[in-house]
Amino acid sequence: MHALDVQKVSHWFGANRVLWDVNLQVAAGQIVAMVGPSGCGKSTLLRAILGTHPPREGVILADGIRIDGPTRHVGIVYQDYALYDFLTARKNVAFGPMLDETNPAFRLFRFPAWRRLRRRHLAEATALLEKVGLERAADRYPSEMSGGMRQRVAIAQALVMRPKILLLDEPFGALDEATREELQLMILSLAEENRLARQAGGQPPHTILLVTHELNEALYVAERVIGLSQFHEDGARGATIVYDKASPVFRPDQAKDVEALHKQREELRAAVFDPENLKKHDRYVTFWKDHADKR
Amino acid sequence: MIREPIQLRTRVILGIASVCLLLVAYGWLSHRQHRANPKDTTVPGLRQFVQGWGRLVHADAAGHVWIIEDARATYGRLLAGLVCGVALATLVGMAMGCFAAAEAFFHPPLSLLAKIPPTAMLAVYFVLVGTEMKMYVAMISLGIFPTLAQAIHQAAKKDVSDHAICKAYTLGASHFEAIWNVVFRQILPRILENVRLQVGPAMVFLIAAEWAVSDVGFGYRLRIQSRLLNMNVVYTYLVILAATGFAMDGALSYVRRKCCPWFGQ
Repeated sequence: MHALDVQKVSHWFGANRVLWDVNLQVAAGQIVAMVGPSGCGKSTLLRAILGTHPPREGVILADGIRIDGPTRHVGIVYQDYALYDFLTARKNVAFGPMLDETNPAFRLFRFPAWRRLRRRHLAEATALLEKVGLERAADRYPSEMSGGMRQRVAIAQALVMRPKILLLDEPFGALDEATREELQLMILSLAEENRLARQAGGQPPHTILLVTHELNEALYVAERVIGLSQFHEDGARGATIVYDKASPVFRPDQAKDVEALHKQREELRAAVFDPENLKKHDRYVTFWKDHADKR
Repeated sequence: MIREPIQLRTRVILGIASVCLLLVAYGWLSHRQHRANPKDTTVPGLRQFVQGWGRLVHADAAGHVWIIEDARATYGRLLAGLVCGVALATLVGMAMGCFAAAEAFFHPPLSLLAKIPPTAMLAVYFVLVGTEMKMYVAMISLGIFPTLAQAIHQAAKKDVSDHAICKAYTLGASHFEAIWNVVFRQILPRILENVRLQVGPAMVFLIAAEWAVSDVGFGYRLRIQSRLLNMNVVYTYLVILAATGFAMDGALSYVRRKCCPWFGQ
């Protein structure tokens, strides 16, 4: 069963066809980047997967569970962080477990049990903040943190829920270059955790779909890159996935192989961003076929 | 230069100077009036004030201590009216900010009510609920309700992003938790700030109502004593009302700082 299964999804607003026959399967533990021209429908697809704007046609499943509204199975990290201003970093991270594992009646009427559970949630939040390098800022409010720190908190806030799939919506778009690189390394360290879990015969813990407009970032951070575009033979019907290939896999401690990235970036540019290249879109959609051939 | 900052010391000295200037101007005015008419009560001197304070704290012929009776009546009405008004406005404002149907339902009547001066509605409350406590509570709570509900509505709608609400659902929140744990907590400082702004109007509505129909309370005493030109009592009551406003404002500001330290100054 796939962690994410997008089946024949189409969406339109009046006469404006946005998505057409989008099919996407993401296996558990994959880190996938999605790129595409501005206005091609990346956000529409992301909102459909998140459940806030269900598609007009098609089905979306997260680990077999049909998505028809926002749910704890699909996590989200936004570009604007969307942290809760009234909570410290630690409490922001512990907010999810509180909402997920308790309800207002429990917190009000079973106060001693709630206090015990709360201690556990806060300890879990502290551990996650240490993992993202923010242990010293745990008691700061979002307004007292830099953009990079806030984004780390937002990622920890999403990871603590262990969602079936985590959506990152241009998460590093508002950050400076140095911070962006630090956070890219953080995503690579999550990929490394997946690799180690696979090696140990376990279930990889992180399945991520990253939406970005930076091609280098997509190729560097993800192990698979998909391109959503309206520049294909049936473009009038809406955007669909026109590119789906594996990308070079880097480890956090490994230097970036610019040559390898450059070659695939040019291919990606031609396949996804070139309005003159109205190709048959299955030509570049070869990830699962290549995967099967490798096996 | 415009907006050039000044030192704290200068700020404090200027503040004290303005109050001193006010007191000196009053003293000069009082002295001038008493030179022209030694029995003048319109701008009382210190001795007349002391006499007035004696009347406030000692029982009159009927055995009533004015200051205690008036304070008890006025503060009771003010507190009850404010609590009811704030509770109602918070409930309706939050509902309007969270649910489009509630917004569509409440927006037209609220817009209309906000345009009617609450003191002009006195006759309506008088007819509908009589002259007892209920009338004062109705006057204050319905007086502050439209403005406060509209402010809370705007805060709930604009100060809480769709992303924050959507994320709460992805963290496992129910609808109630999204409203209570996210929207309400995010706008709590705005609610407290707006309540602070409504304390002044609430006192205006109450004093106006007491002035018109009451037989006890600050508004009633101001009406009677101003007719008798006992300005030593009138000015004293005005100072008490100002002190009440300051105290309530300070208390709400303290609550805001304690409950919402993240909101800053």
